[in-house]
Amino acid sequence: MKRPFDNISGPEMAEWCELLADDNAIHLSREAASAAGYGPRRVNPGPANLSYLLSCLSPEAEETLTDVDAHYAGVVLEGDDLSATLEGERAVLTRDGFALVTATFDAKR
Amino acid sequence: MSEFRIPQGRYEITARLDDSVRALSRAKPRVNQTAFPIFAFVGALGGMGLKIKDLSEALGLTFDQGPVLARSRLSFAAPLLVDRVYAVDADIDMLVNKPSRTYGTADHLHLAIRLSTEKLHSTARLHIIFPGRQE
Repeated sequence: MKRPFDNISGPEMAEWCELLADDNAIHLSREAASAAGYGPRRVNPGPANLSYLLSCLSPEAEETLTDVDAHYAGVVLEGDDLSATLEGERAVLTRDGFALVTATFDAKR
Repeated sequence: MSEFRIPQGRYEITARLDDSVRALSRAKPRVNQTAFPIFAFVGALGGMGLKIKDLSEALGLTFDQGPVLARSRLSFAAPLLVDRVYAVDADIDMLVNKPSRTYGTADHLHLAIRLSTEKLHSTARLHIIFPGRQE
């Protein structure tokens, strides 16, 4: 299964920050993102990136989930076009073929 | 491991909030009472007794340079359900300063954050890297 996530937006990042009680300015301010070395685009909060991978699961899989192990190799930036791919128990979030987040899902048998 | 105590918090997952987070995640609609699994993470940080910025500053970490999430592990003892209030208990598993090829030096914070009702529902284990503290 492969799902596109196009044009990740700054307002969405702000919604995630409110949910997460996260005041990290790199998610909210282009100036802060630039000062932190990420260039002129805001940085998507990590949990948002994982949520895109979780969105690939079926409702049945959501209910039987026991473990989600995720590694974050790169950041998602404002305006990015992403792709989430689920193959078996492994999911990968990519931008231009580069793996940004890799997750493995375990479920009750 | 750390002696720093994080106060207990609480987090309510309402059906409306679940709908909102599913829409934000571009996920499928909820089919029963089971909340979207990302709430193990969202409820952990959103409901922790200290905001992550306040916790970081209390520990002397450089929050303003932008902490980076390195790894998360979400474990579910039971599904998270909507229209429930969860107690949020957080512990610092480990905090170490290490040399870093990217940042020169970096602090590595390992947190374990549990969401419970009368029973444990989920545990979020987070590894967060804080770049560049100058001694």
